Amino acid sequence: MYKKIFLLICLSLSLRAEEYSLGEGVQVGSLPLYLGGYFSLDYQSKKNTERYRVDDIAFIGYGNYEKFSYLAEFEFKEFYVQTQSQNNTFVTQDTTLHAERVYIDYTFNENFIGCVGKYSSPIGFWNMLPVNVLRETTSSPFTSSIIFPQFTTGLSASYNSYGENDLKIDLLVQKNQDLDAGYNNYEINEHYGIGITYTKENLSLKFNAGVFNLVHYNLNNDNEENDWDEDEENDDDNDDDDRSELEKPQRYYALASLKYDHDNFQIMSELGTQASRKEFTTEYAGYIQGLYRFSDKHSVILRGESYKENVLDTTDDIAIVGYTYRPMYPIAIKTEYQFHSQSQNDNFLVSFSMMF
Amino acid sequence: MKVSLKTLSLVLFLFTLPLCGGEYAVIANKEMKPLSLGEIRAIFLKKTPYINDFKAVPVNLGTRDAIRTSFEENILKMNLLQLKSYWTTQHYLGHRPPITMKSANTVKAFVQKVDGAIGYINIESVDENVNILYRWSD
Repeated sequence: MYKKIFLLICLSLSLRAEEYSLGEGVQVGSLPLYLGGYFSLDYQSKKNTERYRVDDIAFIGYGNYEKFSYLAEFEFKEFYVQTQSQNNTFVTQDTTLHAERVYIDYTFNENFIGCVGKYSSPIGFWNMLPVNVLRETTSSPFTSSIIFPQFTTGLSASYNSYGENDLKIDLLVQKNQDLDAGYNNYEINEHYGIGITYTKENLSLKFNAGVFNLVHYNLNNDNEENDWDEDEENDDDNDDDDRSELEKPQRYYALASLKYDHDNFQIMSELGTQASRKEFTTEYAGYIQGLYRFSDKHSVILRGESYKENVLDTTDDIAIVGYTYRPMYPIAIKTEYQFHSQSQNDNFLVSFSMMF
Repeated sequence: MKVSLKTLSLVLFLFTLPLCGGEYAVIANKEMKPLSLGEIRAIFLKKTPYINDFKAVPVNLGTRDAIRTSFEENILKMNLLQLKSYWTTQHYLGHRPPITMKSANTVKAFVQKVDGAIGYINIESVDENVNILYRWSD
């Protein structure tokens, strides 16, 4: 498998039809096929542990023909992880090649586009760019992983008005199993959502709401690793009336987002909530992030986050200070320090990431 | 010493000449409908692949061309870093930057022949075979 991927990349480089620019992929001959990818390496230091990780190694292929366009992205996630805690060293390797996004778009006209396949849920701003090299910090805010499913496998439709101010409406529907169910923050078998984005000059506002049916709850991020299986919980008690509302699989969510871009600075904020039919499963999760660019290559980032989650009964307030150096835009070297209200989770992160 | 009005006007004209920038036009062939500034931006940023039932084919001049710099500043309202960041992100989303042509004459000839093609050139290079969609100056 790895040899085939390597050979395909070598072939595409030798057959490239246009001058290569780092971060923009290559065309394979004159075919409607462009290849690229990205990877990231990171180091984390916590109170008693240190972790070295080859996190993402991903390959992207895309192209278009007439009114159709397609994209496929396959990724090794946590390819190599070495964790050192006092006297112990653990190494894990996950060599499964996951299907991150696989979809076909159809353009009906200049305003309407439809999509079928597995795609990044068009919810908020952060979730649209879930790749280390493209985001401003190595870590992602909790808001992007505990409110809504990051990926949807099904249909989507979007309307975009291209006036002086843009209005975009997204609809998303899933009524089937996930494609590569293990590669999503929630394993789901149903998802209906709507998003409205309004952009006026440098300011974008977005509102999303939706409902999804949870099959497996897999909250897994840099700070906590928790696994909670809906079906296992239900085996103990099949009577709906005796079940806690928190354990019911249907989840409703809403997320409001704001982004303001200027030449030298950017402000981004998202605030969301998630509930079952009667109770909040996540009362709130939100962040506000400010970025200031000293120059084309250097920027500092400040982010404040807070969340209260009821299923695992976790809550935290986090302040993050980060610095990013981009010798070229598609290459990022980032450092950040996280201060948590639960101070045992304070940690330092360094990463190197690249888009090619 | 008497200075005539003519001389004064000439001196003023010569002094202000360097302050005047070029004048440019966004062009397409005669089949293209009038486009708003928002639509022109959407086409060049590849937000919409179709316009007026034609496949939109935006055409850029070379990276270092002064007309392109002016177009990016005044029409796209983005600087070089913002554009690099934008197209790296678009690569992740499966979109390519516009094709590039070396000269205004090539752009004009291409736009004339291809339905949906849209480019920008100096206003002095515009002739009756192309349609002006938008004018701007530095």
